[in-house]
Amino acid sequence: MATVAYRAPRSHPSKEIRRHTLIYLGLLPFLLIAVFPIFWMLITALKQDPDLYRMDVVPFWFHLPPTWRHFDFLFHNTFYKDWIVNTMSISFWVSAITLLTAVPAGYALARLRLPGAENLGIGIFMTYLVPAIILFIPLARVVSTLDLQDSWWSLVVVYPTFTIPFCTWLLMGFFKTVPVEIEEAAMVDGCGQLGALCRIVLPVSWPGIITSVIFSFTLSMQDFLYSLAFVSISEQKPVPLGVATELIRGDVFFWGSLMAGALLVGVPVAIIYNLFLDKFITGITGAAIR
Amino acid sequence: MAVSGRVGVLSWWRTPTARRYLFGYTLLAPAVLYVLLLVGVPFLFSLYLAMSDASVGAPVARFVGLENFQAALQSTAFYKALGNTLFFTVGAGILKGLLGTTLAFLLLRPFVGRKVVRALVVIPFTLPIAVSVLGWKWMFDSQFSVVNWALSRLWLIGTYGSPDWPVWLGQPNLALMSVMFVNVWRGFPFSAIVLLAGLTSVPPEIVEAAKVDGASFLQRFRLVIVPMIAPILFVGAAFDTVFTLSDLSIVYLLTNGGPDGATEILPTLAYNTGIRAGALGRGAAISLFLFPLLLPAMILLLRTLRRREH
Repeated sequence: MATVAYRAPRSHPSKEIRRHTLIYLGLLPFLLIAVFPIFWMLITALKQDPDLYRMDVVPFWFHLPPTWRHFDFLFHNTFYKDWIVNTMSISFWVSAITLLTAVPAGYALARLRLPGAENLGIGIFMTYLVPAIILFIPLARVVSTLDLQDSWWSLVVVYPTFTIPFCTWLLMGFFKTVPVEIEEAAMVDGCGQLGALCRIVLPVSWPGIITSVIFSFTLSMQDFLYSLAFVSISEQKPVPLGVATELIRGDVFFWGSLMAGALLVGVPVAIIYNLFLDKFITGITGAAIR
Repeated sequence: MAVSGRVGVLSWWRTPTARRYLFGYTLLAPAVLYVLLLVGVPFLFSLYLAMSDASVGAPVARFVGLENFQAALQSTAFYKALGNTLFFTVGAGILKGLLGTTLAFLLLRPFVGRKVVRALVVIPFTLPIAVSVLGWKWMFDSQFSVVNWALSRLWLIGTYGSPDWPVWLGQPNLALMSVMFVNVWRGFPFSAIVLLAGLTSVPPEIVEAAKVDGASFLQRFRLVIVPMIAPILFVGAAFDTVFTLSDLSIVYLLTNGGPDGATEILPTLAYNTGIRAGALGRGAAISLFLFPLLLPAMILLLRTLRRREH
């Protein structure tokens, strides 16, 4: 279309190529610095030890055949399997607690026109900002009172302190977007308030609920301090803590297995988080956009 | 509502409004209680602990007033940690702001492969923090550092053992730079994405209008775009400040405060005092010194959020 081409001279091919070249050149350093560590961890995890500890050859590729030894070591000589089971169990229970509390709370704050709802919502969200570093010492007392020290159950109790505020806020925003009409229609049809919530609102809200589960999982995976402070028995640790503390013996670092163990959980978490990153950003900044 | 006398109150309880309130607060109760019991109460408890001589070994504590705070204020280790914390947070914050802004503008306009680039560039922020810090610990290894290999091949430094061979995590200044670098590496994608979310919310017509009026790129950015996206910038900056101030894992895993306190920050000092050395009261007092540093960020966020509501 001639008029469009005339009005948008930027789409001229040679100019487009120049623009793309400049953008790619600008992005190249960012891409390198963001991706290189992953590449380096991966190649470390797959190199044989003699290939790992030498400085006389280009280290970016294999000089001896790649090996699965570091992964074998992880699964046969450490508690890695237990750590994965612990991490999954923690995530499951944290998600369950978060959903059971944050879904009703988010719904009530968004929908029921309660006096003080806005302030209460902001108040709950603000607790997300009270950092672990202030809470971990008093929470250590709570954990020992509940007799949960050195068990991953302590983390099930503690992680909801940050997943509930975040997910309540997220779900509050989400429930505001569900049309009121379908709920009113259900109530006219004889559903009570609870009936309308369970039968009408929840079924159309599954994207928000799945997002909450994802964040309960990824935010739990980002924790290091609580697990470090509360769990010191090898078999009870979640993956990040186990990898960081059990594969370093004195001055000896098992670098191959360290990188293998870190990547094996890090990459899936990064991919899932990546897919939901926009929801995370909207969750915390959305308030400022609307 | 014309409510008068007992009968009126009783009948008010049967109105739809009253039932809605009851239903609503019942739904809210579990979340509010959880947060109160495990954030509110522990926070108050940490105030109490900070004023007691509680330790891991002796659960019965004695009230000691402000002794723990005074002890902190009289130790050089505390001032070192406080100084490092401030330098670390401000320095890393500026770098993340600059890099994030550059990246956001690079990603702003459509180009071929934009989605892929965006997904790759945010990797540092999405990796669990302990995982990526371990990767950096290996890259900063004293002998087999890949960074040193590259620098050595570029003739910028000598070979292993030569006096200019940098030991990233072993030399005081380099160690502080290294922990800051890892924090910036992890945080710059967050700054970029937050800024990008802001930039895309600015209607292009307004920017175009400023352009027609003859405003230069910097003028447009400073006078048109920044004021419009200020709330988002505040929120993003507040979150990043809180994450940075309260994060222990980068320093703990890379240097654990060493060499000789060069990278000690308040979180690591609080952890090492409170849990490792078992002086719960001292540790709680040190961690509470973070609160006044966090407060401006929290107030900024609170004001931004409340302004939206009205």
